Amino acid sequence: MVPGVGAVPEGGQHATPAADQGRTRRDVTRGLLSSAVAVALAPAAAACGRKAHAPDDGRRATAFEETYRGRRIRGTEVRAARRTAVGGAQWEVTIDGRPLHLMRRADGSWLSMVDHYRSYPTPLAAARAAVDELGPDEQLHDLAPGPMGEGPMHTEGGHGVHA
Amino acid sequence: MAYTRKNVNRLTAGERRRLVEALLEVKRRGEYDEFVRLHIEYNTPDGERGLRTAHMTPSFLPWHRKLLLDLEEALRRVDDSVTMPYWDWTRERTTTSVPWTDDLLGGNGRRSDRQVMSGPFAYRSGYWKLTENVTDRHYLTRDLGRAANPIQLPTGQDLESALVDPVYDTAPWDSTVTRGFRNKLEGWGPGRGSVSWRNHNRVHRWIGGVMLGGAAVNDPVFWLHHSFVDLQWTRWQQRHREHRYLPAVPPGTRDAQHGRVVARNERLPPWDVTPDELEDMSGVYQYV
Repeated sequence: MVPGVGAVPEGGQHATPAADQGRTRRDVTRGLLSSAVAVALAPAAAACGRKAHAPDDGRRATAFEETYRGRRIRGTEVRAARRTAVGGAQWEVTIDGRPLHLMRRADGSWLSMVDHYRSYPTPLAAARAAVDELGPDEQLHDLAPGPMGEGPMHTEGGHGVHA
Repeated sequence: MAYTRKNVNRLTAGERRRLVEALLEVKRRGEYDEFVRLHIEYNTPDGERGLRTAHMTPSFLPWHRKLLLDLEEALRRVDDSVTMPYWDWTRERTTTSVPWTDDLLGGNGRRSDRQVMSGPFAYRSGYWKLTENVTDRHYLTRDLGRAANPIQLPTGQDLESALVDPVYDTAPWDSTVTRGFRNKLEGWGPGRGSVSWRNHNRVHRWIGGVMLGGAAVNDPVFWLHHSFVDLQWTRWQQRHREHRYLPAVPPGTRDAQHGRVVARNERLPPWDVTPDELEDMSGVYQYV
């Protein structure tokens, strides 16, 4: 069970814009890049009868939810769950209810354990890319140690080193 | 006496058979899955906190060198004639080239679910069940060339652009550096899209399936790929003899990379070995 996901309203696609405070030029740039990705992915989303979804439109969102290629993607911004080197918001993302192990890159982009050799501008783009790599009925495996940061990872004295 | 690692296209039929049998035996003994687990565990990217030793870091090369040495040791406990060959993806470039043959690693995954259906590592052969994976699949998957959105393997020129750089690595020692041999070979390019996945990273993407994720070690081509990547480090050393692994000393306490990368004489987790000790392998193995 992923903390926080239960707070997302059921059904429908939605995004909750956050107060537009404290945006940096980098955030704006990332938003523009995100828009480009959303546009690029729109045909695929449309192909499965769903409207391309909103949170990649450049606004800051605290949650997203959509069906992409038949998979339910949900993301929730979480605060202080763990700290990363690059800072910024943390996201917990599930695909069909299973946690996607999501990680940050130093340039602020995102990558997952399913698609580990490139990165994406937003958590949603990384989640869609993971869906693209899943076969029919293939589901994420809940990795042990827990993908949300409870388990020991490898670093000596390390902490919070993974999503 | 050093042993040799050969180009996989030069293995005899008997050498191919012994390599495959040794891999299957290491898998049967349960040792193989320890390597898969280790690679999943050491996934820390550079936007996360903590020490990173395997990816987006100077020790990308010694870390994978040591992993490969350990696997090779396990293979040689089974059959001491076996060594890990390399796959030169600048030359063997098609989905039917070596090593995608039925007497080596088997072929591409089928279209419907990317399941590998041929060769000794196909699930239905009964010897290769994935037990450590990031998804619930137990069979090996591949999508050679990315059928839905094709890409090409890196070229010799792509590799040369990395080899020509005389500096091993440079601050901030992560995936954002645009100078230095290590990241040009590892392949985290700037920008978005296909042009930003280079050399090592691009090969993982070209193979697809499990090779795209944290559990990439499940596909035995992982080792043939990293044998070739390791050969590039050796070639770079031969070309730039006055240059060595960097950083030579740990980043200072005020440096954002303090405690996050392994310097030349620091221990390289999870092993009790330093990059310095892994630089010269000529007494252990040589590439031919």
